[in-house]
Amino acid sequence: MSESPASPSRAQNQKLMELLGMDKMTLSSKTRAAQSTSERWMRYLGFPGGILLFLLILYLPAGAGLSASAQAGAACFALALVWWVTEPFPTYVTSLVLMFLLLVTRTSDAKSIMYVLGMEVIWLNLLAFILSSMLVKVRLAKRMALWLILRFGRKASWALLAFVILQMVLAPLIPATAARAVMTLPLMIVVAAIYGATEETNNNFGRNLFLLNLVGISVLSSMTMTGSSANLIAVGLIETMGSQRVYYMDWVRVGAPIAIMTTMMMWVLGQKLLFRIPKAEQTPQLEGGLDLVKQQYAEMGPMRGEEKKAIAIFSLVLFLWMTDAFHLDWFGVEISAPFAALLGAVIVLFPRYGILQWSEADIPWHLLIFSAGAYAGGLALDDTGAAEWGVRMLFGGMDLKGVPFGISYTVVIAVMMYSHLLTTSKTVRTLILLPIIITLAKALGWEPISFALPAALCIDWVVGLPISGKPNVILFSTNQYSVADNFKYGVLTCTIGVVLLVISGATWFHWLGLTPSFWAVAP
Amino acid sequence: MRRLLVFLMLVLVCSSASAVTTIRNYVTRVDVVTDGSARVTVNVQLAGSQPGRITLPIGFGAMDNFQIKDAPRGVVLKPIPAKEQSIVEIELPDAIADEVRLSFSFGAPDVLGRPKSAPGERSKLPADTSLLRHSFVNTQETPIGTYQVDVRLPDDVRVHKIGEQLPKLRRAEVLPRVRLDRVDGHQGAVLQLTNLKQGDRTSMSLDVTTNNLSLTWLLVGLVLSAGYLFAFRDLVIPGKR
Repeated sequence: MSESPASPSRAQNQKLMELLGMDKMTLSSKTRAAQSTSERWMRYLGFPGGILLFLLILYLPAGAGLSASAQAGAACFALALVWWVTEPFPTYVTSLVLMFLLLVTRTSDAKSIMYVLGMEVIWLNLLAFILSSMLVKVRLAKRMALWLILRFGRKASWALLAFVILQMVLAPLIPATAARAVMTLPLMIVVAAIYGATEETNNNFGRNLFLLNLVGISVLSSMTMTGSSANLIAVGLIETMGSQRVYYMDWVRVGAPIAIMTTMMMWVLGQKLLFRIPKAEQTPQLEGGLDLVKQQYAEMGPMRGEEKKAIAIFSLVLFLWMTDAFHLDWFGVEISAPFAALLGAVIVLFPRYGILQWSEADIPWHLLIFSAGAYAGGLALDDTGAAEWGVRMLFGGMDLKGVPFGISYTVVIAVMMYSHLLTTSKTVRTLILLPIIITLAKALGWEPISFALPAALCIDWVVGLPISGKPNVILFSTNQYSVADNFKYGVLTCTIGVVLLVISGATWFHWLGLTPSFWAVAP
Repeated sequence: MRRLLVFLMLVLVCSSASAVTTIRNYVTRVDVVTDGSARVTVNVQLAGSQPGRITLPIGFGAMDNFQIKDAPRGVVLKPIPAKEQSIVEIELPDAIADEVRLSFSFGAPDVLGRPKSAPGERSKLPADTSLLRHSFVNTQETPIGTYQVDVRLPDDVRVHKIGEQLPKLRRAEVLPRVRLDRVDGHQGAVLQLTNLKQGDRTSMSLDVTTNNLSLTWLLVGLVLSAGYLFAFRDLVIPGKR
């Protein structure tokens, strides 16, 4: 008697149960399979397309203010950008190619390229993944995910909203976006699995979940001036160059409504317009649905000692992340986010009393290499002056003298918002663009703050591409969505942001005294 | 009486302090020629000019063929070459206008070239790259309002990268310390700094390379593209592997 093969739904259910067990919850380094004809063509043509763009930029006649290394750096970055988007081979391989190209085109020296792997951000990612592995190992992530589903997961929309609220709560508390991404990633993966979205079988719930979290992590950082270190740099520049002080509540008044409104709009538009979730996928996909989730949750029993230990360790790290402003007074030294995570990792890996063995830590090195390449490229654009030259050309090519305030304001906001597609660092972008925007405001006869503060609100909106920011890299590594999905979702988010900022500039900001009349023309 | 004396002394000190010739603008244009030497033209604008001698530091060592291009009657310019930084002594006569414009030029050898390596040491510069280094120290008492160096390269070379641009930008400064530009097909660089006090220094170094880009990149790129399109044709043509 031959055994009948397992039905597809049973096999899928088996896979979901495995994921729920989280034993195989690793951030895969496998290349995402091309899922449509257009994606296959993109991969096929992306490779020569990237090379073609590289050659085109490299052989262009020398620009007036562009050095040969800046031109070569722009060519290398353009090639990598095309390959990252079209994925002719894995993103981390593209990063390695980019690093090699930066050397052989003499854009950067070996030391500058290799140094990126020692950057704070890479360390933070590495250590945060150790903490994340701890949450997975002690099954705390599973417990939290099941609880979240039981509480809010009867419908896909509510599960998505629960994550929005979670990110909204975390954003003012933890400035490090990578830390927020890593903290909530295990929850996302399990909840996605419950709704049938896995690495192998992507669905629109998964796309919405991960991309909405990306928006939540990045955009909600712009609610407060302490949401990211780049925000604080912008405040400093406004004060030193524009001679205008921005207080905490000044920022919140203008930044929070726009960030929250945009995130809520994307919660709706994502599932209703971009990636429609079919009725069949609106409920948990596990056979047995919520009953099975309930059963799983009940089987977990009361919280075990290991879980409590994990909570204590994570709370210590969280506490250090949240109180970094007081460290100098308390300890005489500032324990930055990576070092707080490092302390957590030491406790987690402590012999006999710790929680993890080194071999149990799921550290996605391919992801760190991908990040390193992106940073090497971004820093090369900055160091060679290519990025600054591009921005100067852009603003220099527009004659904004004598045009109404609203038009100049809209141009500045749009440039600031979409410029993140060409950089990999919020800090670098801020340092390049904000001084130019403040100078432009002065030259046009407007108060510097009227351009600079609304522009500063766009700093954290780095949601367009997987290389645009640290959380982007982390979430993209789950293989739950494509670069094109990310681009679509990110551009719509940024466009909504621009529209809201322009409307606010004409109304809300004007009533607050931040901007002049939209139709005013400077004397 | 004592108060009066103190007051008079203060007035004297203040008046003597204000009666100092200052350099409002100091612009140096460096036209580099193919052999690496340069013709340097200096334009200086003095303000509050007082009779007497002032010393003008020049950001070049050796200098030859010194020529005065523009100077009011009675003003004497005397170049004093030095190994590191030459100087020009400017003698202002008694009846001198408050604002004075001076212009002079000279030849400077080895402005662009390959730095000499120590015996047994390998050069860190690629074979097709030369170095242009300029440094300037304000060795005199009075501040210089604006110091600018405008370098023009020969037409067969371009700047590969700006190796050094000091001092670092102050927080209120927007323009980069060294800005590249192109005039009449010649690429060049402009170094600019304001308010140099005595002892302040500024410097820039440019890695200069040939304008002709090798065709190797093009050939390698085309070969790789063609190879990929053939090897991965199964991506778009099912069954072709």
